[in-house]
Amino acid sequence: MTPVLEAEGLGKRYGRRRALTDCDLSIPPGRVIGLVGPNGAGKSTLLQLACGLIKPTSGTITVLGQRPGTDAAQLAKVGFVAQDTPVYAALSVADHLRMGAHLNPGWDGQLAQRRIAQIGLDPKQRAGRLSGGQRAQLALTVAVAKRPDLLIFDEPAAALDPLARRGFLENLMEFIADLGASAILSSHALSDVQRVCDYLIVLADSRVQVAGEVTQLLERHRRLSGSRNELEVLPPGFEVVHADHTVNGSSVVVRTNRAAAPSGPWQWAEIDLEALVLAYMTRAEAQR
Amino acid sequence: MIWMTWRQFRTQAVLGIAALLLLACYLLILGEQIRHTYNTDLALCAKGSCSGVMNEFTGQYDLQTEILGYVLIVVPAVIGMFWGVPLIARELEAGTHRLAWNQTVTRGRWLTAKLGLVGLAAVAFTGLYSLLLTWAASPLDAVRDDRFTPLVFDDRNIVPLAYGAFAFVLGMALGLFIGRTVPAMAAVLVVFVVVQGVMPTMVRPHYLTPVSQTVALTKAEVSGLSFFGEYGTVGGVHVAGGPWIVSTSAVLDRSGQEVGHTSWWSDCVNVAAPAQLPDCISKQNVHVEVTLQPAGRYWTFQWYETGIFALFTAVLAGLCFWRIRGRLS
Repeated sequence: MTPVLEAEGLGKRYGRRRALTDCDLSIPPGRVIGLVGPNGAGKSTLLQLACGLIKPTSGTITVLGQRPGTDAAQLAKVGFVAQDTPVYAALSVADHLRMGAHLNPGWDGQLAQRRIAQIGLDPKQRAGRLSGGQRAQLALTVAVAKRPDLLIFDEPAAALDPLARRGFLENLMEFIADLGASAILSSHALSDVQRVCDYLIVLADSRVQVAGEVTQLLERHRRLSGSRNELEVLPPGFEVVHADHTVNGSSVVVRTNRAAAPSGPWQWAEIDLEALVLAYMTRAEAQR
Repeated sequence: MIWMTWRQFRTQAVLGIAALLLLACYLLILGEQIRHTYNTDLALCAKGSCSGVMNEFTGQYDLQTEILGYVLIVVPAVIGMFWGVPLIARELEAGTHRLAWNQTVTRGRWLTAKLGLVGLAAVAFTGLYSLLLTWAASPLDAVRDDRFTPLVFDDRNIVPLAYGAFAFVLGMALGLFIGRTVPAMAAVLVVFVVVQGVMPTMVRPHYLTPVSQTVALTKAEVSGLSFFGEYGTVGGVHVAGGPWIVSTSAVLDRSGQEVGHTSWWSDCVNVAAPAQLPDCISKQNVHVEVTLQPAGRYWTFQWYETGIFALFTAVLAGLCFWRIRGRLS
């Protein structure tokens, strides 16, 4: 099957600043992908590269088997909701749907109408007067009603209050299920995407720190605790992600290929996604 | 994409159409008035003293036609600022380009639709205005016989169309490259003023090599002059047939020497009563050398100028396509 997104040595720089460096990814279709990283890590850059808004300065990226944004057929397959969910302030909600219908051959007018009614938007209302949550919903509707194979959301939850965020994500998940599409969601906070994603990419300091299926990531990462001496040298097959040494003992997050419990003079425990992401982000921060 | 372009351009288009309708009404009325006066004056002419009658005729309508001409020179700048600049700059400013460019329309087509539709409107506006003004002022221009001078040349016939297209695409390009509406508007104004200043003074005179001619300062010639300098210079030389006087030399005597600040010249200019001035100067048998573009070259120059601005327009449009497909984020 064609990967949803494939990147090789992908890089983007603005002048001398590196926004994204040496990014290698291959994401299988049918996933909901969480893209997590601190602010300024390069999440927006990666997503804008994926929908063809910007061009890479090095390496290659293909989305659904094609270079992004090259022709109309490719554009039809990708729905993108940019950060801060831009809409035309002077145009009404109904105008936005008309725009969608005029500009997308695959437009699903019924779906759009149904959704607008469902979230309770007044079609005559100007988009400039909508609340942040309503704007996000409108932008989502426009992106979804073109029936793309891949939906990309750049920080969809950032502008929303917790309640609206919850509603938005639930809506989003219904759509993804309806369309049978893949989706990429970025956020600086794991909690925003944790509930919905089954594939995770951690981006920090312009590099991909780790990427993979959530279940696999959880299987392959362990927290080892013991005395500092015991954890100083680990057997092959263990990669230290992050080590924490205190007077009471040490705790190390490791990545391992062994599914079995690693044996040694230490205690081991499974770790949750939050701790895993934090370990990678801390490592990236330390290496800067 | 045509629907979307129209939807976004609607308000400006309505304003433009309203302005054009007002102008058109006024120009039609003015044109009829000019024709009416012209025909009555022609009848008077037949009875003699034609030049006096015709002077009165041009004087009567000078102000209106000149103002309308200035407005037509300014219109392209306004179009560039208020139609051209917001076309892309407003999208970039509001971030809505990220919405627009992810519909099933390539950026090239998106730009083509905007450029085509609004550009056409810009050319139509300036074109109709120019057509009406050229028509309204044609009896006047025929009498005045100076349609080659920059302030008339710039606002008659086909050149305004090219200015309109150029200013519109200039606005669009500056909006795209600068990315913010207000600074781009200011930049359009500056660039347009510079271009419209440089073209008629430094570039247009050289489309074809000017012809040299000697003009004797006869009584009639001197009475038509508009300027007399302290150091033996004059301005406003008129040559029959309506050529464009590109340059005028200093006043020369019979041997070709510059008259300069001689006593008889300053007597004439400073001491003699204005009514005596033509006599005072003409009896010295002096002349000036002018270079001019013969009136017969008028249409060649209109086409040259149109072609040059069309080329500017094409280059700017090309830059917009290159930029929008390339590295814009």
